[in-house]
Amino acid sequence: MSAATAHHDEAHGHEPSYAQQTKSNRLGLWLFFFSELFLFGALFAARFALWGNTRPELSQVLGLIVTSILLVSGYFMYRAEVAIAHDDRKTFLSSLLAAAFLGIVFFVGVVILEWNVFGLELNAFGVEWFGRLKPRDGVYGGVFFAMTGMHALHVLSGVILILFVWNNGRKGHFSPEQHWGVEATALYWHYVDVIWVFFYPALYLIGHLA
Amino acid sequence: MGTGKIILTSSFTRGIIGQAVFAALGIAFINVIRAALGLEATLEPGVVFGALISVIGFLLGAGVFTDWIKWIGGQKTPLRHGTPAGKPEWSRYLNVDYNHKVIGIQYGITSVIILLVGGIFAITFRLELAQPGMQFLDNDAYNTLFSGHGIVMIASILLGVGAMVNYLVPLMIGAPDMAFPRLNAFSYWVAVPSAILILAGMAVGGWDTGWVAYPPLSLRAPLGVQLFLLGFYMNGFSSIAGAINLLVTVATMRAKGMSLFRMPIFVWAAIATALIQFTATQTVGVSLTMAVAERVIGLNFFDPVGGGNPLLYQHLFWFYSHPVVYVFVLPGLGVISELLPVFSRKPLFGYKWIALSSLGIALLGFLVWAHHMFVAGMPNSLRYAFMLSTMFVAIPTGVKFFSWVGTMWEGKLSFETPMLFVLGAISVFLIGGVTGPILANVPTDLHLHDTYWIVGHFHATMFGGFIFPFFAALYYWFPKITGRMYKESLGKLHFWLMTPAFWVMSLGQMSAGIMGMRRRIADYDPALGVANTQMLVTIAGLVIGWSVLIMVYNLVSSARSQEMAAMNPWRSRSPEWQIPSPVPEFNYDVPFEVVGDPYDYGLSDSEYIRMMPAPSGD
Amino acid sequence: MNERKAAAYRRGLMTLLILAALTAVEYGVGVTLTDPRVVLFLIALLKAAVIVQSFMHIYRLWREESHE
Repeated sequence: MSAATAHHDEAHGHEPSYAQQTKSNRLGLWLFFFSELFLFGALFAARFALWGNTRPELSQVLGLIVTSILLVSGYFMYRAEVAIAHDDRKTFLSSLLAAAFLGIVFFVGVVILEWNVFGLELNAFGVEWFGRLKPRDGVYGGVFFAMTGMHALHVLSGVILILFVWNNGRKGHFSPEQHWGVEATALYWHYVDVIWVFFYPALYLIGHLA
Repeated sequence: MGTGKIILTSSFTRGIIGQAVFAALGIAFINVIRAALGLEATLEPGVVFGALISVIGFLLGAGVFTDWIKWIGGQKTPLRHGTPAGKPEWSRYLNVDYNHKVIGIQYGITSVIILLVGGIFAITFRLELAQPGMQFLDNDAYNTLFSGHGIVMIASILLGVGAMVNYLVPLMIGAPDMAFPRLNAFSYWVAVPSAILILAGMAVGGWDTGWVAYPPLSLRAPLGVQLFLLGFYMNGFSSIAGAINLLVTVATMRAKGMSLFRMPIFVWAAIATALIQFTATQTVGVSLTMAVAERVIGLNFFDPVGGGNPLLYQHLFWFYSHPVVYVFVLPGLGVISELLPVFSRKPLFGYKWIALSSLGIALLGFLVWAHHMFVAGMPNSLRYAFMLSTMFVAIPTGVKFFSWVGTMWEGKLSFETPMLFVLGAISVFLIGGVTGPILANVPTDLHLHDTYWIVGHFHATMFGGFIFPFFAALYYWFPKITGRMYKESLGKLHFWLMTPAFWVMSLGQMSAGIMGMRRRIADYDPALGVANTQMLVTIAGLVIGWSVLIMVYNLVSSARSQEMAAMNPWRSRSPEWQIPSPVPEFNYDVPFEVVGDPYDYGLSDSEYIRMMPAPSGD
Repeated sequence: MNERKAAAYRRGLMTLLILAALTAVEYGVGVTLTDPRVVLFLIALLKAAVIVQSFMHIYRLWREESHE
């Protein structure tokens, strides 16, 4: 923009082109991810500082299910991005909805089943479907709710972003050439996935039962 | 449009109204829910939630989110430029504006205002400390004031850093603006409600934990600590967003020919600062969130009663709060390196070494945090490691000192106010620097920890690393910003009052510390023998306060004068001085090309930048 | 165009299968080994790398624009 675009008619000459702005946006978003790495990294470190090589008793089946759901949701997000890049609007919209739906299922799975905010009980197929860990259960409650809570907050914001993108996509706002909004949301959604890749073993698999 | 109406409809006013409304809504919301669930009525959860969303209320009211909300609806919003029609130019500074120069000035003015507020706190409790015995403050008021002084000054410094970086970096690299102008506005505006939260915390009972808020004390402190923690936390958004913006700007928007080692040296300092800000800030955010959650929701992390570990807080906290010291000083040191060649008329000595030493300090800064915790009960092995790493910081810092001396050596020095402040900065930073290794050393630190020695040491680093260079920068770029010249005589008076007073204050604090004066304490035993020193430090503090007021008067009155300054009064080679002052809306009408090295002062026929020929068909 | 699109979808599906397999291994390791810390961390790193490369296209940061 400085040297490259020589012409300028007052305001418009100073605004970067879509491609150039996208390049800046992409770098900025990745820097934001790197920044957030320290947020989640600090929580991760707190888990090992406070739990050491132990862990609370959690339902293994539930953990595996929500983890799988998030992975599949990431695949649908990828599909949506490929679809809009090839101007396949139908697949684009349906994939977005699928990704958002699975994100909501993950969120509900964590909040209603694992957190058990309504204090329910159900034992079916040999599995305890509602978690028993409470926020005030010492450091186990503290760290578990902090890590899942911070992650769930990102899932929720991701779902909201996907629905915004879907709404704009429905109105025909994206094109194969110009769809930074889709790419950014997809990146964010995959990033949330990456965080869970580290949180899942840290919470469910590592350590002896306390 | 009348002045009153412009102020009443400005982003500031709307933001404050929005903040008040959302705070009230938040408090009401939580209490209605608690009442519906049949829980007892307590103040704290409502206040926390209200404070949290009050920041959103401010930003909504101020209009920071307006464009982004439109984007969500699929609308495109062109960037607004220039003064809105029918309004005077000064109204831009009260409203959300996307121009990096306006935002830089907003940062700067807010920084100075908050600096004065923090200064008033300091002077208040300094007066109390002038004599042994309690005179006019009680313990709680004293605790709140010194805690408030700490965090308010940190907020002021962060805003000051934002001011310099935002105003200068796009100009120096030849960019029309920052990469993300709206995010830039957000970075500034989110700092305002954060500061309001912190000040509100002082009003609703204050807190007694200092600015570090160590648990378990902070878990049992009065309600004010919550607003302090949240205000501190919210301020982090400003740092992170600003730093990402800066890194992208420098990475993608440099002028043609401006390779990394041909950037003005201040840009290197800004990069190093941003690298710290956009990473480390997250960890303090986590520690503050955890403390808030432990108080409100009862999640256990730090309270040993529930199995928590208070040291975890200190680790997370200092993982940010030590590197952030370099956030404060690196831009200041960058200003010193930037100004010295101009006033010495000589090339900057060892440009690459200075550039890399900024990065070196930033990276080393991540490896030294636990030297704040030598007495907190860490294993000895960690003490050695952190002692060593801390000592290593002296190496890149020493590189800078050598380069400054080398730059001045046999130069044609002239002593205008900015140069005086640069020299003052070097002298004061030297005091702070040489007293550092004594604290890095575990055996001496065990004795000096939590004494006034520390207070003297870090005030010297903060003044030498930030305050003096910041004032130098204010004087130096004042003609660029306003197009007017400040009054040289008042500038010199400011310097000659402030510098000796600061030496007295800092050395006095250290000597009281050696005598056994504890920090963070409202009273002391007359038998310590520090009463005279304390009186001297208080008088010196008052002198510093008055001298800063002289500067404020000087800058405000000069900005209103009619006399225009010369275009390049310092004969600088830097690009921003080759265009008219105040700078036009889009900075450079004609792009420039970098054809030489930035600091070849005194070398004949050397060129740094060349304006490109005007485009045809304009 | 359509072939490239189909190839892209296939790549996504492959990535998902790899991730699913790694997750299964992860779970198996987690419930059998007595101290699975290192192995699990390595698997997590591998999964993250797969996502960052295949789903997040990190290479777009330094490669010129191409939508695949």
